[in-house]
Amino acid sequence: MDAHVAQLQMQYRNYILSLYQQGFLDDQFTELKSLQDDGSPDFVAEVLSLFFDDCVKLVGNMARALDQIGTVDFCQVGANVHQLKGSSSSVGAKRVKGLCINFKELCEAKNYEGCVRCLQQVDIEYKTLKAKLQDMFNLEKQIVQAGGIVPQVDIN
Amino acid sequence: MTVEQDFEAVDQFPVGMRVLAVDDDQTCLRILETLLHRCQYHVTTTDSAQTALELLRENKNKFDLVISDVDMPDMDGFKLLELVGLEMDLPVIMLSAHSDPKYVMKGVKHGACDYLLKPVRIEELKNIWQHVVRKSKFKKMKSIVINDDHSQGNSDQNGVKANRKRKDQFEEVEEEDEERGNENDDPTAQKKPRVLWTRELHNKFLAAVDHLGVEKAQPKKILELMNVDKLTRENVASHLQKFRSALKKITNEANQQANMAAIDSHFMQMSALKGLGGFHNQRQIPLGSGQFHGGAATMRHYPLGRLNSFGGVFPHVSSSLPRNHNDGGYVLQGMPIPPLDDLNNKAFPSFTSQQSSLMVAPNNQLVLQGHQQSSYPSLNPGLSPHFEINKRLDDWSNALLSTNIPQSGVHSKPDALEWNHFCNSDAAQAGFIDPLQMKQQPANNLGPMTDAQLLRSSNPIEGLFVGQQKLENGSMPSNAGSLDDIVNSMTPKEQSQAELFEGDLGFGWHNSSLRTCI
Repeated sequence: MDAHVAQLQMQYRNYILSLYQQGFLDDQFTELKSLQDDGSPDFVAEVLSLFFDDCVKLVGNMARALDQIGTVDFCQVGANVHQLKGSSSSVGAKRVKGLCINFKELCEAKNYEGCVRCLQQVDIEYKTLKAKLQDMFNLEKQIVQAGGIVPQVDIN
Repeated sequence: MTVEQDFEAVDQFPVGMRVLAVDDDQTCLRILETLLHRCQYHVTTTDSAQTALELLRENKNKFDLVISDVDMPDMDGFKLLELVGLEMDLPVIMLSAHSDPKYVMKGVKHGACDYLLKPVRIEELKNIWQHVVRKSKFKKMKSIVINDDHSQGNSDQNGVKANRKRKDQFEEVEEEDEERGNENDDPTAQKKPRVLWTRELHNKFLAAVDHLGVEKAQPKKILELMNVDKLTRENVASHLQKFRSALKKITNEANQQANMAAIDSHFMQMSALKGLGGFHNQRQIPLGSGQFHGGAATMRHYPLGRLNSFGGVFPHVSSSLPRNHNDGGYVLQGMPIPPLDDLNNKAFPSFTSQQSSLMVAPNNQLVLQGHQQSSYPSLNPGLSPHFEINKRLDDWSNALLSTNIPQSGVHSKPDALEWNHFCNSDAAQAGFIDPLQMKQQPANNLGPMTDAQLLRSSNPIEGLFVGQQKLENGSMPSNAGSLDDIVNSMTPKEQSQAELFEGDLGFGWHNSSLRTCI
């Protein structure tokens, strides 16, 4: 077996494990991965791409809503948070989901400062995740290009 | 699989089961689609509830099951759920990131077969086919039973009802089902005699509801408590429904009204005392306070009888006013409460004589002579429940009956002018008091009855008060106005009415009723 491929595969495994360990991903991500098969080889990439599009849209909505200083519609913000919570939990974006839970409470409390801060955190978080997953996909590509198979990483 | 045995028509079921998935979140929709594919279902997706409805309406036989998200921008998922259940009678599964039980309950109430939380797991989706089986089984069963008596057209509806009956534990839906079921299922097609909700009957109903609590009361239990022959659960159920919606309406109206500060604070005190029974022995409650604030407005909407109920609530009344009426020491100075008899008729019979003494014009004129209602038992601890009942009753009966009552010519116009006029002059007060008294007298012991009073209290003497309603309504505005004015001048308390109203107060309705006046 190509040592290079093996090395890449090892790198890949460790990377994925670290993502889980650092709380970026959770079981739902594993589920997603398990749904990927020969019939839908890019399933995970597709879903994640949709997810990040959603993030951009929702964060934009929330930023706009919070911009209306004095007349912030917290219900509107809350609705967006709710949606983000739903999609983040569906893809396994653990940290983003966790932030959404806090965010929701802040919306309910109509805590403007808190909401603004939380939104910033959400923004940072999803972008970080996006970058990390991008790296992961790149690794997968390299493995495939080197002639190897992307390994199934057993989280447990 | 046993399912396959039942479904001879579809050999491979649940493989190939046709699912319509609705979710505005594209990420979730995509995942759901894939999960469903993995379960070997046939999947159609849409991100719009409207589109989903169109697809379903186009051909209701095109799908076996609908899965829908709850929070969608173009249409509430629950609404979609209802429509699908009604129009197409397909099993609908709700999907949401809300784990709050109240959403789950809402889903069940609206007829959802199941409620799944996001993120959805494939294991959960693997079992959803059971809902299709269940539903169609019910349809089959119902159609067999119903076919004898009804046309085929009813069977689906009955199937839905049967389904809903099983799934919905809550009385609201039960009531609806029962009512609909009642209409459709009666095999003999015999029209049941319409139940006339007399005062007596309604009193029993109120007592039962109060005992159980308005929120928790269920038709079945109410029926048991009422213990009335030939009254069916359906009768009670529909009555309860009307009662509740009237209450709701009143609540909403009340919430929109002006600040009933004084009343609120007053009632805050009152509410602290559980049970009216405690009231009469205890503290002085400055009646002048907000109770009547905005009473004018309230009066317009709700019979003065409500105010009378207030009387029953005021401890000072009982303490300062011994059974003999027309006593001078009234806290309620200048609070003309015209239909004191109403109080009598209310749940606070013991206040009768006291109530009359409540009617004190600003210059200590007695607004009303006490009306001895001999039939009234002495004050008892059970007053609190009655009070609440009365309150609700008032609200409800107002909502139900007031429209029927032609205004009397005297004070038929609850316009600001009139009551302002009254408020501003003692003479006017005396003046308007008079008609009240006059009105009361002919009314016998019952006096002018407000709509609410009509239906209120347990006084069997009260017969048909339709005629009296007129008086009540007619006189109310003026009374309200002056009362309001008096109250305003009497007490400065400020507290948000909303607090009181929303609290668990028997007096809450007063606030609301008063509020609406303003």
